Amino acid sequence: MRDRLAIITATLAGAFMALQYFITLPIANSAYRAILSWMQIIAAFAIVVGVFGVIRLHLERIGRKRAGWLYSVTLLAGVLVMTILGFAGGIDRGTSFQWVFDHWQAPMQSTVFSLLAFYIASAAYRGFRARSGESAILVMAAIIVMLGRVPLGEWLSPILPNVSDWILNVPALAAKRAILIGIGLGMVATSLKVIAGLERTYLGGR
Amino acid sequence: MGTSRRWIFAVVGVVAVAAMIFRPGFPLSVSQETRHVFDLIDSLDSNSVVMISFDHEASSLPEVGPLGTAIVDHCFRKGIRIVGLALFSEGTAAGYELINRRASAAGKTYGTEWIYLGFRPQYTSAILGMGEDLGEVFSRDYEGHSLAESPLGSRIHNYRDIALVISVADGSMPTYWVEYAQARYNVKIAAALTAVMVTSYIPYLESHQLTGIVAGLRGAAEYEQLLSAPGAGSRGMDAQSAIHALIAVLIVAGNIQAWRKRRSQTGRGTNQ
Repeated sequence: MRDRLAIITATLAGAFMALQYFITLPIANSAYRAILSWMQIIAAFAIVVGVFGVIRLHLERIGRKRAGWLYSVTLLAGVLVMTILGFAGGIDRGTSFQWVFDHWQAPMQSTVFSLLAFYIASAAYRGFRARSGESAILVMAAIIVMLGRVPLGEWLSPILPNVSDWILNVPALAAKRAILIGIGLGMVATSLKVIAGLERTYLGGR
Repeated sequence: MGTSRRWIFAVVGVVAVAAMIFRPGFPLSVSQETRHVFDLIDSLDSNSVVMISFDHEASSLPEVGPLGTAIVDHCFRKGIRIVGLALFSEGTAAGYELINRRASAAGKTYGTEWIYLGFRPQYTSAILGMGEDLGEVFSRDYEGHSLAESPLGSRIHNYRDIALVISVADGSMPTYWVEYAQARYNVKIAAALTAVMVTSYIPYLESHQLTGIVAGLRGAAEYEQLLSAPGAGSRGMDAQSAIHALIAVLIVAGNIQAWRKRRSQTGRGTNQ
C-alpha cells in the first residue's frame, strides 16, 4: 500500500509538472508555484534526515570499531562543534561559525584539492605511457593542451594555444556532445518510466 | 612511498613556490570567451541588476574566488547592482564574504547597491521559483532584512528584472540554470567555471543557451587584464605555467625511461 501511494504521487506530480508547461490557466500556475514551495520544504527536511543518517552511520562505525573509525570521530566532532557554534553565536559575518569556515574548512578543503597537482605530476611520470599509437596520440594531446592553456605555451609558440583550442573544441567536444545527447535521452526515458510507474528504484530498491 | 615519488612531490612543491616568488610573468592574451563576458557586462546600464550565484564548494575557492572577484569588481566599477545567492551550501558564506569585501573596497552600500539572498536547498525548485516570484523563494536576505523593505530587493520580482545571471561554479550547476532559468524564463546565463568544466559547457555556448563562459584561473587572469587590475588570477598563472610545464617534462621523461627499459629488456632477450 505504501509503495502504491508513493508511485501514485510520483506519477501525478511528474505528469503535472510535465503538462503544466503547456497550460496557461491561472489555477495551473498556482498549483505549480505551490509544488515549487513544497519541493523546497521537503528538501529542507531531507537535509535534516540526511544529517541524522550520517550521524547514525558514523556512531555505528565507532561503536563497532570498524576500519577508519577515528575518521568518524573527527567527522562527528566537526558536526557537533559547528552545530553548537551555529546555534550559540549565529552564522553571520564575524561569528565563530564563520571564522571556523573561513580559517579551517575552506583552507583544509583547498589544500586537499591542491594535493591533486602532486599526484597528477607523480602519475604523469609513472603511468602516462605511449605504449601504442592511440596512447601516443593521447600523450601528445595532453602535453599540447597543458602547455596551450597557460601563458608559458603562448610564449613558447603562438601556435600552441590554437592547436590546444582545436583539440578541445573539435575532437574532445565531439565526444562530449555524444555523451550529453546520451545523458539527455537517458533522462527523458527514465522520467517517462517514473511517470509510468515502471521505474521504482527511488523506493529503495523494492 | 617510492623514492621517485617523493622526489617528484618535492620538485612540484619547489617549482610552484619558486614560480610564485620569482614571478616570470609570461605575456597572456585574452580569449574570445572572456572578452565576450567582459563586453556583455560592460554594455549593461549602470542601473542594471546582475545576479551572481555561488554554486561551488570551498575546495575550489582558489580557482573560482579570483573569477568571482574580477566579475564583482567589474559590476561595481560599472555601477551595476548585484544580487548574490548560493545554491551550494558551502558557497553561501564564501560568496557573501567575497561580495562584502569587494563592496567595502568599492564603497558600495548594502541594500541599495548589493544584497545577498543566502542559500536555498533543492536548486531546481529554487531556480524555477525565482522565475515566478523571487519573494516566495527568499522572503528575507542573508542578513535577515525583509526583501520587500530593501530598496534593491523590492525592485526584483523575478528574472524579468535581472539583466544577467552568472553562475560561479565548479560543477554541473550552470546546466540547471540553463535548463530551468534560460529555457523557461529566457534570462541570459553566463558561467564562471573551473577550467576542467569548460568542455562540458561549450555545447551550451554554441547553442546560445549560455551567453558566456569565463574559465579557470586563466579566465580570471584574462579578466583582471581587461580590468587593468592584476590580482590573484594573474599571480596564480605563473605557478600554473610552471607546473604544467613540469608535468609535460615528467611525461616525456617517464616515457623515455620506459622506452629505454623496454629496449634494454628486448636487447637482453635477443642476446639470450
